[in-house]
Amino acid sequence: MALPGLSLPGLGLAQSHVSTGSNIQSASGVSQTARQEDLPPRTEWRFEVNFQQQYTIKVLTGHAELFGVELAPNQVHNFSGVKGAVFTWQGCRLELSGEAESEYLGHETDYAVEWLNVHGMLDTARGDAQSTPSSEGGPRVLVVGPDFVGKSSLIRSLAAWGVQSGWTPTIINADPREGLLAPPGSISAVTVGSWMSVEDGYGISPISGPTVTPVKAPLIYHCPYASATEKPEIYKALLTRTALSVTNKLEENLLAKQSGLIIDTPGALNDPRSNYATIAHIVSEFSISLILTLGSERLSNDLSRRFTGDNIPVLRIAKPAGAAEKDAQFMKQLANQQIRQYFFGTSKDPLNPHSHTIAFTDINLWRANSPSLTIAMNATSSGMDDSDSDSYASAPSTKDFDRVTPSQEMLGRLVAIKFCSGSETDEVAIRDSAVMGYAYVSEVDEAKKRVRFLSPHPQRWGDRVMVWGGWPEAVVDLVG
Amino acid sequence: MSARSPRVSLSGASSDEVAIDFAESLKDLQMNNRFEISNLTLIAKENTEHAQAISKTLEDHIKTIVPPRKLPALYVLDSIVKNVGTPYTVYLGRNLYQTFMDAYTLVDGNTRRNMEGMLKTWKEPVPGAMDSTPVFPAEVVRPIETALIKFRTVMVQNNRQNQIQQPTYRNTPTPPQLNGRYGVPPSQGQGQPYYGQGVQQPSMYQQNTFSPAPNFQQSHGYPVSGPQPGNDAEAIKRDVTAVITQRQAQFAANPYNAQIRQELDALLQLQKLLSTQILDAGALQQIRNQISALAAAAPPAQSTPQPAPVQNQWQPPPSIPPSLLARPPLAYSQPPSTQPSLPSAPFLDPNALNGLQALLANGQKPSTPQMRAAAPALQSASHSQLSNVQTQASAAPTLNGADLIASLARSGLLPNLPPPNPTPTPITAAPPPPQPSIADLLKALSTHGLFPPSSHGTPAPPAANSSRPRIPMTAAALKPFRPELVHALYDAHPNQCSTCGRRFPASEPGREAKARHLDWHFRTNQRMADPSIARGAHRHWFEGEMEWIQLVEFDPSTTSAEVAAVAAEGGGAGGISGGQGKKKVVKEEEKWVRAPPGVTRNVCSVDFEEMKSTYSEELQDWVFQNAVVWGGKIVHATCAAEMLGSAAGRAGGAMATALQGGIGQRQRSATPDSTGSTLGKRKAEGALAGVGARVKME
Repeated sequence: MALPGLSLPGLGLAQSHVSTGSNIQSASGVSQTARQEDLPPRTEWRFEVNFQQQYTIKVLTGHAELFGVELAPNQVHNFSGVKGAVFTWQGCRLELSGEAESEYLGHETDYAVEWLNVHGMLDTARGDAQSTPSSEGGPRVLVVGPDFVGKSSLIRSLAAWGVQSGWTPTIINADPREGLLAPPGSISAVTVGSWMSVEDGYGISPISGPTVTPVKAPLIYHCPYASATEKPEIYKALLTRTALSVTNKLEENLLAKQSGLIIDTPGALNDPRSNYATIAHIVSEFSISLILTLGSERLSNDLSRRFTGDNIPVLRIAKPAGAAEKDAQFMKQLANQQIRQYFFGTSKDPLNPHSHTIAFTDINLWRANSPSLTIAMNATSSGMDDSDSDSYASAPSTKDFDRVTPSQEMLGRLVAIKFCSGSETDEVAIRDSAVMGYAYVSEVDEAKKRVRFLSPHPQRWGDRVMVWGGWPEAVVDLVG
Repeated sequence: MSARSPRVSLSGASSDEVAIDFAESLKDLQMNNRFEISNLTLIAKENTEHAQAISKTLEDHIKTIVPPRKLPALYVLDSIVKNVGTPYTVYLGRNLYQTFMDAYTLVDGNTRRNMEGMLKTWKEPVPGAMDSTPVFPAEVVRPIETALIKFRTVMVQNNRQNQIQQPTYRNTPTPPQLNGRYGVPPSQGQGQPYYGQGVQQPSMYQQNTFSPAPNFQQSHGYPVSGPQPGNDAEAIKRDVTAVITQRQAQFAANPYNAQIRQELDALLQLQKLLSTQILDAGALQQIRNQISALAAAAPPAQSTPQPAPVQNQWQPPPSIPPSLLARPPLAYSQPPSTQPSLPSAPFLDPNALNGLQALLANGQKPSTPQMRAAAPALQSASHSQLSNVQTQASAAPTLNGADLIASLARSGLLPNLPPPNPTPTPITAAPPPPQPSIADLLKALSTHGLFPPSSHGTPAPPAANSSRPRIPMTAAALKPFRPELVHALYDAHPNQCSTCGRRFPASEPGREAKARHLDWHFRTNQRMADPSIARGAHRHWFEGEMEWIQLVEFDPSTTSAEVAAVAAEGGGAGGISGGQGKKKVVKEEEKWVRAPPGVTRNVCSVDFEEMKSTYSEELQDWVFQNAVVWGGKIVHATCAAEMLGSAAGRAGGAMATALQGGIGQRQRSATPDSTGSTLGKRKAEGALAGVGARVKME
C-alpha cells in the first residue's frame, strides 16, 4: 500500500533502544551535508528514507507540498521510514540534509494534475451538495487498484486539499495491513476536520495532552487478518458495519455529509476471479458515487463495464511515476512502528503506556481464527514443548471466533479491547463491536494464571471482550 | 522522548538568521496586537539560545522605530521578560535604562502613561508566578524611576505654560504612519496617579477583551465619521486628486520610499480610470472608503498648532478637503444629511442626534470604550448590545450619524426612535480592510471587475463557491492543468501560518482565524513545554460508535481560540459595565463556552457524557453550559477541574491561586498578552486557569 500515514518519528525510540552508533556507519546512500535543490514548477523531489535514516527538508523559497499538505516555509521537516515526493506547483528551492536511500528530481508529474483535478471534481460535487439541500450529500469515492500504486497517497492528498478548502471529508481505511490513526489490524473511519501534518499525515488520535497537530478521532473496527481475502465474509461484514456508522455520522453532521467520503482499499480487492465481489459490496454498502482506479487498466475496464450502467463513473487515475514498491521488510517495519507509536507516541507527541496485570479469570478472551493464525500457531507450538498447548493449537477451529484462555501464543501480539460486555457470547456481536483500544501482551504467566498487558490508558477495561488474531504479527521488542 | 526539538521552529538556525527573522516580524508589528505580540514572544521563547541576538534586535527596533510604534515594541519586551524570563531579563536588563528612557522622551503622553504602568509591573513578580522575584531586579528599574520623577517635574512646569506638550514625533523626519490609528493604546486600569484624567481610560484588560473590534477601529482611525456628501464621482475625483497631491509632496520629500511611489502610481492609475469610466455607486463607495482611509493614514502635510489639549495624537490633514475627513465632533455639529445613494436612510430625530453629539463631544475621540465611559446609558448595556453597536460603527467608516443612531436604537440603548431600517447598506456589507493600502484598494476595485484580479487580491471564502471551476466527473476533465485549482489552494489563502504552513484567506475573518490559530500554537507549545502536563500524556481510548457518530469535528485551533476570545469578551463586558473589582470567581458549573458554528452536541472527553448546547439570551448565542476548553476540546468544567485536581495537586493549587489572585495581578501587568490570554509560562496549567479566569462574568 502506499505510504501515507507513516511518516516517522517514533522510530527514534526504537533506535535509541537498539543501536545508535552502527546505523550511521552502515547507512548507505546519499550524503549528509545540507544542500539546496531548485525545483522548477510542477516537478517533485522524490526521496526514499528507510527506518534507520533521518532526512530533513526545508522550503527556502516558493511553495511545496507533500501529499497535499503544504510544507511551512523555513521550517525543518523530519522524515524517517518514508517514501514520498515533495511536489511544487509554483517552483521552489529546498534545503535537504540527512540521509536517504535515494533522492532525485522527478519531472514526470502528470499524475499531480490529474489528482488535483479529482480534487476539483470533488469540490464541485461538494459545492453542489451544499447548494441543493435535498441532495444525497457529497461525493462518495472508492479508490481501488493494486498495491503500491499510490492509492493512499492520492487519498491523503485529497483529504488535505479538501480540508484546506473548508470541507471535512471522511476517510475510511479498509486495508488492515496498515493502520490509519491506529495500529495495523484495524479498519478506521475518521472525519478530518482540522489540518493535516506534513510529517504525520492524519496525525494522532486523541491523547490526554497537547499535540502539535490537532487530534483526529477515528472509529475503529478490528480486522485481525493479514489480508482482506483471508476471511472475505467477515471482512465484508465489518465493512457493512463501518458503512452503517459512517452513514449515520454523515446524517448527523451536515458538513460531513456534504464533504463526502473516500475509501482506501487493499490491493487484494483487485480480484477478477471473485468478479470483484468485495468491491461491489463496498459500492453498494457505502452508496459509492465515484470509483477511482489506479495502476491496473484491466481493473478500470472491468469496473467501468460493470458500474457505468449504475451511473457510477469509473475514472482511471494516473499512477505517480515515483510510486515506490515497499518490500515485505519495509511493511513489517512499518507495522511495528505503528504499533510502537500507538503506545509510545511519536518523538513529537510522546506517550506513556501503562502496565496492567490481570488474572486469567478476569479476562474475556476470544481468538479470531484464520489460516495465517493457524500457521503461526503451529510454528510456535512445534517450536516449544507442547505441554500446555492441547487446549487450542491442535485442531484449528472451524468457527470464526473461539473463546480461549490466555496462552503463550499471544505473547507480543495486540489484543483488541472491544465495546462489548464480557457476558456476550454472540459471535456477530463480538465481531461487529467497535474497538475501544488495543493492549499488548507483554507477559503470560501460566503458573500464576495472569497476563501482563501494556495498555495505552491508565484505566482498566473491566470485563470487556478482548479479541486477538493472526494480524498484526507478534512484536518481540516492544517493551525493553 | 528526548527528541522534542523538531517542534522548535527555528532551532538549528544561526543567531543571525534568528535575529533577522525576529526583526522582520517586529517590523510587521504596527499596533498593539496581542496575537502578533504572542507570536513574537513565542519566537523568543523557542530561541532562548539566541537570546542575546534577539534582545539586541529588539532594543535596536525600539530605538529606531517611529514613536507611535514604540509602545507595541515595548510590549513585546514586556511580554518576553514576563513570559520567558531569563536569559532575556539579563540581556534586556543591561540596556533597559537606555531603551526605556530613549523611547520615553519621544512618545506622547498616553504612551508615557502606559510605559509608566509597565515599569511599575517590572518591580513586581510575574502575575501568577510561583516565585516572588520581580521581573527585573530593583537595581535595573530604580534608575529609570528616578529619571522619570525628574522628567515629570520638568513636564509639570512646562505644562503650566503650555497646557500640553506637543507630540514630539512631529519633529521627527519619519512621517508618522499611524496617525490617528493609535487612538486607544491600552493603559493601566489602575495606578495612574500621575495625570488626573477626566475620561476613564479603558484598562488593558478591557482592551484585550475587545481585540477584534478595537484593532479594526484603531486601524480606521475614524470609526464614527460624520455625514458624507453624496456618492458623486466628481467629488471622488477631487478627493483622489487631493490625495495624489499629498502623496506627491511626500514623494518629493522621500524620493526613495518605494511604498509611496507605488501608492502614487496606483492613485494615478485610479485617477485615469475615474475619468474614463463610469462606475456604479457601489464601486464609488469602495473607492471613497479606500481613499479616505488612505488620506487618513497619510501624515499631515504641515503641522498646525493643535489647540485641543486632549487631541495630541490626532490632527486633521489640512490638505484634504474637509468633506473627506469629517472630524467626528465637528461632523456631528453639522446638520445631519442623509446620503442620497443609500436606499432608505432612517429618519433622524434631531434630539437623539444632539444627545449623541454631546456624548461624543465628551470623549477625546469617539473610541468606543470612551463612548461608554461618557454615556451613562451605555454603562448598563450588555456586552452584546455594545459590541453590536461597535461592530456596526467600526464596520463602516462612512457610517453617518443616522446609522449610528439606528444601531444604537437597534440595541435598545436609545429610546423613542423610529424603527431602524433593517436593510444593510452596501457600505456595511463591504467593510474595507483595516490596513488602508493600495493593495486593498486595487483588490476592492477588482471585486467590481474594474481591474483584473491580482494574484494576491482575490478574496476566497472558505467553502466552495461559484468562483471555483466546475469540473465534471469525466475522464476528459482529468487531463488539463487548471491553475485556478492551485490558486484556490494557495494564493486565495495568502495568509500563512509560519509554524505549520496552514493558510487563511486574506479577508477579515481569515485574519481573525489566523490570529486565533497562532494563539493556539502558542498555548499548545506552552503546554507542551510544561513538563507536568506533557510528561504524563497517554492515549485515550477510541470512541464508541455512538460517540463517534455524534462527534463533531472542528478545528480546535480556530475554534478553541474563538471560544477563548468569547470568554474574554464575557469577562470584558463584566469589567466594563460593572467597573473594576466587582468580578467574582465563578463556580465551575457556571462556566460556559460558546458553541462553535454548527456544533450543537459535544461529548465531554473526560466522562464521555453528551453535552448539548443551549441558547443563552444574555450572550445571544449558543453555548455549552458547565464547559471549558481543555486540550482543544470542550469538556465539562467540573470534569476538567476534577482531572486537574487529581492530575497534580501542585497544579491544582496553582490554578486556584491563579483563579483567585488572577484579577488583581493581571491588571497590574501592562502586557495584554501575558494577561488576557493565558500565556504566562510561570502560570501553572495556563490554559485552563486562563480560560477559567476569563469566563468570569457578572
